[in-house]
Amino acid sequence: MNPTNPSTLAHDFMQQGCSDDCPIIDTHTHYGPYQGAYLPVMPHEKMCHALRRAGVSKALCSSHEAILGDVDFGNAMTQQAVDREPDLFRGYWVVNPRYSDAMQRLISDYENTRGFVGFKLGPEYHTYPLDGPRYAPALEYANEHKLIVLIHTWGGSAFDSPQQVAAVAERYPEAALLMGHSGFGDFETSVRVARDYEHAYLELTCVYSAHDFSMLPAGSSTPVQLASSLHVNGIIEYMVEHASSKKVVFGTDMPWYSPHFAAGAIMFARIDDEARKDICYRNAQGLLERVRPTSGR
Amino acid sequence: MKKPADTRTMNFFDCNCSYGVPSHPAFRFARTPAELLEEMDWCGIDRGLVYVAGLRYGSPVLWNELTAPDLASQPRLEPTWGILPSQTGEQSPPEQFVTQMKASGVRALWAFPNEHHYRLDGVTFGDLLELLTEKHIPLFVKLNAIALGELMKDFPDLTAVAVNQGPHSLERYLRPLFDTYPNLYLDTSYLLVEGLIEEFCERYGPRRLLFGSAFPDNCSGSALLRLTQAEIDDEAKRAIAGDNLERLLEEVRI
Ligand SMILES: [Zn+2]
Repeated sequence: MNPTNPSTLAHDFMQQGCSDDCPIIDTHTHYGPYQGAYLPVMPHEKMCHALRRAGVSKALCSSHEAILGDVDFGNAMTQQAVDREPDLFRGYWVVNPRYSDAMQRLISDYENTRGFVGFKLGPEYHTYPLDGPRYAPALEYANEHKLIVLIHTWGGSAFDSPQQVAAVAERYPEAALLMGHSGFGDFETSVRVARDYEHAYLELTCVYSAHDFSMLPAGSSTPVQLASSLHVNGIIEYMVEHASSKKVVFGTDMPWYSPHFAAGAIMFARIDDEARKDICYRNAQGLLERVRPTSGR
Repeated sequence: MKKPADTRTMNFFDCNCSYGVPSHPAFRFARTPAELLEEMDWCGIDRGLVYVAGLRYGSPVLWNELTAPDLASQPRLEPTWGILPSQTGEQSPPEQFVTQMKASGVRALWAFPNEHHYRLDGVTFGDLLELLTEKHIPLFVKLNAIALGELMKDFPDLTAVAVNQGPHSLERYLRPLFDTYPNLYLDTSYLLVEGLIEEFCERYGPRRLLFGSAFPDNCSGSALLRLTQAEIDDEAKRAIAGDNLERLLEEVRI
């Protein structure tokens, strides 16, 4: 039957899987194998195909290996992905505060990359707090160069709660701080942080799915188990109403979550097409225009 | 390549959607069957196999009885009931329970073992699950894959629908089960990970996948757009969208 949703963008996505009027910039993707799950579109060609068929024009990525394994080797993998697909991928350099040698080389390593636009921080994965001193050099550099900093965030986390994002937002007003997963579960606080700090954004990866960790035999697969949140319907409307559509950006964790599953939540949210465009690409485009991608040395 | 079917001509029958008032509501949810229908209209979903929120977050003792009358005037919504162990006397013995289902026009059941604190196995539910197997009554099961495997080991022929299997990819747990149990079905509500629908169809065909939105856990539009854009043929899409559920319900013998 015909949906009563009058959105022409929703119509385009339902009929063609993408819309010429609404490209997508995916601000949160990964690359390469992940130890904890089989991901069918992990291989390079399949991932690129899946992104492109949903109208993704740019994907900002960091390899799984860089976050969950060998940080140097993993960052080199991200570089390979960007080199191989320079039109599609932009890189995030993963910062692992558990390795002081890598932290000392951080800025020079970053400046040696090509096509990178910022940092990816995973405080929860490295069990090191976002507002702790070891992250400061990365955040200071990002602040100075207006880089994009994608931070894994989760409600109630001891390492990367939305409250901790507020603390660093206070100190680094020029870095674009993307709250990955929008501080999942504590959406009210995340939305307040995005409303109160001009440079803090709500990033949608997995926000369009409830997380009931009793359904996952190995739980959240982070060193410290994360809190469940049993419903998410209506969250996008809530974000737009309280923080505005200018503060929400699209993300998927690809090769994890289907861009169509993500787009479905946006296309059928009770918001207008202008807000949908802000979320799908305009906001991210604005952030990318502020950063000059690295071009090696 | 052949032009894909106009999605507006497809018949969507949502196997996993809910209305009602839980203690901790979603940002937007359906208080009543009418509000659920409004959400379905918004997305273009034709019909729903529905459970009331109280069946999951409250007690089936209270809510089984209330569901069917609530939906009596809604031909697009079909009611389901929840199960509990009969040993405590909270639920009628199996034969009587199935007779009551029939009287209320209920053809499918839900099990929420984590919410209602019981073990879904042969020791607890032997007689009931044997009866459901015999009568082809589908049991929607919200249970993690390891416990689901225990259930299927005890009742390998049960028509069971595994729901909410995600959002992570659980293929390493699930494929051994789907390889082994031909009456095990899967709803699409948590198949967020790209490629899962396509690879399921490749490995097993589309017969055992059922369109589910998990509304209001998730947004109905997510699973909907995902399925319409899956890289499978139109016939497979139609089967998953509604025909498979239709067939399962027609096969019920009560
Ligand atoms: Zn991620």
